[in-house]
Amino acid sequence: MKSLAPQGPSIPVATNIWWIVASLLLGLMFNLLPWGEAAQWWRPDFVLVVGLFWAVHQPHRVGLGVMWSLGLLTDMVDGGMLGQHAIGYALAAVGALLLQRRLLKFNAWQQALQILPLLLLEKLANVLTATFAGHAFTDARYLLSVLSGALLWIPVALLLQRARGSAGSTDSA
Amino acid sequence: MPSAVAQTPLFPRGPGLGMRLVIYLLISVALIVVDVRYRVLDSARAVVATALLPLQQAAQSPLTLYRQVSGFFVQHADMQLENAQLQQRQLAYAAALLRYRDLEQENLRLRNLLGAQARTPLKTRLASVVQMPRDPYNRTLTIDLGSTQGVRAGEPVIDELGLLGQVTRVYPYSSEVTLITDQDQPVPVMVQRNGLRAVVFGRGDDGVVDVRYLPHSADIKLGDTLVTSGIDGVYPQGLPVARVVNLDRSANHAFMQVKCVPLGGVDRYHQVLVVENAPPPRVPAPVATAPQSATHKATKR
Repeated sequence: MKSLAPQGPSIPVATNIWWIVASLLLGLMFNLLPWGEAAQWWRPDFVLVVGLFWAVHQPHRVGLGVMWSLGLLTDMVDGGMLGQHAIGYALAAVGALLLQRRLLKFNAWQQALQILPLLLLEKLANVLTATFAGHAFTDARYLLSVLSGALLWIPVALLLQRARGSAGSTDSA
Repeated sequence: MPSAVAQTPLFPRGPGLGMRLVIYLLISVALIVVDVRYRVLDSARAVVATALLPLQQAAQSPLTLYRQVSGFFVQHADMQLENAQLQQRQLAYAAALLRYRDLEQENLRLRNLLGAQARTPLKTRLASVVQMPRDPYNRTLTIDLGSTQGVRAGEPVIDELGLLGQVTRVYPYSSEVTLITDQDQPVPVMVQRNGLRAVVFGRGDDGVVDVRYLPHSADIKLGDTLVTSGIDGVYPQGLPVARVVNLDRSANHAFMQVKCVPLGGVDRYHQVLVVENAPPPRVPAPVATAPQSATHKATKR
């Protein structure tokens, strides 16, 4: 019986929506954690990385609109200008959606390298928006979180892929 | 069923990705303009902030747990040492406090003699910091007191060392404090040594504030302490704000360049005090005794 089952790469299936919501909430909670003074600059944007993971793996569920709304939520949480992060998230989401078919062919390490420019794009969009709103860019350490965000992609991708796999099998069963 | 397949469609229908991006970007720009220029979206923020508060407090729990656990494993010797230090400090403070009470009484008498308005004592409320976003564009804190606890926008926030900032947005159960290091956040101050008035501005940078618009000849020295001057009606008089660490009197700049370090723990995560009812009435009520004596004198002549 086993030999009759398809042996190739698994067919992508839709994930339970609650997995997506739960992982995003967990990401938001990590963003809200109190970080030490030294670690604060290295703090990756958990919501952005998790959101991009779902945009790559479930573009029907988490597309441009959802990512834009997540950006808006981040703005509200941080108390910054409403719409600043929304622009960055939307731009990163478009990049992820364009790369989506290609990214699925790579493993987590190689994906992280391709996610890095998207995270950088998000940060640069933030800087540009803030500059237009009259804030000067003062600290280049702001960009450190791009590196940590790309590194974060690897555990997030491995973890969520595993969770998604088990959830997918229970869905189909 | 096409929607169940986890791929981007090969032949998409509806507006394309680029078009949708442009639409979302336009909405974002409109939102930024509305938010920055008109500040009409604060009610929406209040809803989100209230909904997020349990999540923020849950995110605090690892830190609280760590503090409790590490507090439990403190060594006996450390504790004794700390206790001795605290007792010594308390003794010193007690002596200073006695003197302070005496001086306060004397000050009150002198003010009465002069007919000046009496200084109101500060009423404060203890709050703890629940969030500190790491964003160079907004140096803010979120504290766990809101409008239901009576916090109002504009109230100063201090810690045991000095001024931290000002409450800028009030939500039902939390509020947002803009720190004095926030970009272009002004605080009217005076030099404690000689009463020279100046304005301190945040730079959007941790641990540094600037005094702007001081002429080159101004009497300010390294190590001078700047305290709030109280002339703005927002901050009560005499709260320590910053210490001067760098002076540049070179003629390259139109004004003197004065770099200061904030005295309050603006980048620390701890308990803060919200000062209640800080703004004194704009038109000071006449003190009962002083004008009368003045009129008496006038009539006598």
